[in-house]
This record gives sequence, structure tokens and C-alpha cells, in this order.
Amino acid sequence: MHENENHDKHIKILLVDDEEELVSTLSERMEMRGLDAAVAPDGPQAIDAIKIRLPHVMVLDLRMPCMDGMEVLRHVKKHNPEIQVIILTGHGSAKDEEQARRLGAFDYLQKPVDVETLISRIRKAYRHTL
Amino acid sequence: MNPETEKTMAFFGKMTANLTHEFKNILAIIQESAGLMEDIMAISPLSKEKYQDRFNNSMATIKNQLHRGMQLAARFNKFAHAPDQTNAQMDLDETIDHFCTLTERFARLKNISLQAGKGTPPGANLTTNPVLFYMALFYGLESCLAVLPANTSISIAPAEKNGRQAVEIVCSGPQAPSADEFSDGLRKSDSWNELEDAAGQLEAEIECETRNLCLRLIFK
Repeated sequence: MHENENHDKHIKILLVDDEEELVSTLSERMEMRGLDAAVAPDGPQAIDAIKIRLPHVMVLDLRMPCMDGMEVLRHVKKHNPEIQVIILTGHGSAKDEEQARRLGAFDYLQKPVDVETLISRIRKAYRHTL
Repeated sequence: MNPETEKTMAFFGKMTANLTHEFKNILAIIQESAGLMEDIMAISPLSKEKYQDRFNNSMATIKNQLHRGMQLAARFNKFAHAPDQTNAQMDLDETIDHFCTLTERFARLKNISLQAGKGTPPGANLTTNPVLFYMALFYGLESCLAVLPANTSISIAPAEKNGRQAVEIVCSGPQAPSADEFSDGLRKSDSWNELEDAAGQLEAEIECETRNLCLRLIFK
């Protein structure tokens, strides 16, 4: 087993996206790789999920119903700054990336992303929480 | 660039950004579903059986997303050809149905449902400038989205008013605003000026029927 994979089972991940088929499949692929990934379909449910189970890393879409991803990011960084947030979006404006990074996003990725690339960024984000 | 061209470019930019976002979501779902199938194929043959349902579900998801993508692409292609002619005959039922598919995400992001209604009489046509027609519909929709709360509905359909061809954008739902709030809110919305501008160029009248929360565009 690769050294990274020993740590993987300790990483708690929360995937937040209103494309439920995307996050459910992604979480299943992560579980097959020994990662612990929960899902939330929107911002309010993501905030509720954090209260129950604090993730190390949150993978967050930007454009969602109920609550915009930027609002979720702002909320998380205010109340749980220890959570590292990776933005995963199909909305590719440089302005959004700049704002997300200014609000404290750890990384900013464009959809679609290779699962191994995403996992490697999650590992990197997790190391920042230690 | 003159102000009219700038406005048209801004409108096409909004529509294109919205649709590329949809396509990226579709591609991401297909990529993950295909990836999951690949993962299942790679595991030991002995444990494959327990993943059979998941494998089949992934296949179904890919087919559904391909269908969603093809529908969007076909409508987007038609929309992209709107500037080809400055005056064209448009089938209103079909055009409004396509418009609602292309803009459904704007409503979904506010938790508002959007659907194309059936016109009366069916099969109505309108000869007009297609780009300005789409712009008027879009800014009419945006104005309504600005005044409606979540869990409400919008229906867009062709109609007739005093013997003239019209399009009605009708808002409804238990949480829908009062008639006064609806009327004031529309006029104060960011898109109202753009709506007036597009309607003006089409020589269309804008009518706000507060009784049934209807924004009506009446064409010449």
C-alpha cells in the first residue's frame, strides 16, 4: 500500500454539489479507494452535515440552489476555518477563482476532473490540516 | 462597439456561460460513471457480482446524461443560429419549449420551476427578429425570477391578446408575491430596462396583469 493510502482512511471528506448523480458516484469511487466521503446536495445541508461530522476537506461547487457556493465558503471559513475547501466548478471565470481564493479556498478545480487528480489535491489539503 | 451590440453580446455571453456550465456537469457525470464502471471491471472477478447493480446503474446514468446533453446541444445549436436572419418566422410553441430548456437552470438555482405551457391556439407563428425575441423572453424571465421566492413556478406560453400574438409569463405558487409586490418588483428589477429596450425594438407592448401575476409581451 502506498504511504498516502495509509492516511486516506483518516481523511473525512464532504462533497457538496446539486448534481446528485455526480457526487454520489464520486463518493462511491472514493470509498472504493478507501476514502471516507459524505455528500450534501446544497449549502444549507452541507452546513448541517458539518455540525454532525466535521470533515477535514470539503469539495464544493459554486453554483447551487438555496445558497451560493461562495456563501457556503464564507460561512465555513468563519465558523470552521480548519476545514480545507476545494472548489470544483463548471463555472470557469477568473473572477470567481480570485474571489474563492481570497475567501480562503485551498484549491480551485474545473469540472470534469480526473478522480485521481482530485484525490491527490484532497490529500494535499488534508496535510494542511495536520 | 455600439451599445446595442454590447447588450446583445452580454446576453449571448450569459446564455453561453450557463450552457457550458450545464455541459461540464454532464461531462463530469459521464466521466465519473464511466470511471466507476472501469473501477468495477478492475476488481477481482469474485467480488464483481455484488457491484452488478451499480454497474448497470452507471450505464443507465451515462445514457440519461447523453440524452440530456444531446437535447441541450440541439436547442443550443438552434439558438446559436438566431442571428442568421433579422426577420424570421418562428414556431412559438417550439421556440418557447427550447427557450425553457436552455434557461431552466437559471430558475433551478432559485428553486423555482420553469416550464413551457401549451399555446392557444396551438401552432402559432410569429415573424420577428429572433435575437430580440429571445432577449425579450430572457429579460422577462429574469425580471420574474427577481420577484419570486423559492418554491414557486413560472410557465411561459404563447397566447393571443386582442387579435395580436402574445407571449405570457405566468407566475404562481403559495409563496408568490402579492399583486402590488409583483408589479413593483418587476419594474425595480435589474432586467426591466433590458426588457423594455428589447420590447421597444420589437415594437412589442409589455403588459403586467397583476390579478394572475402575468407578464405579457404583445407583438405587433
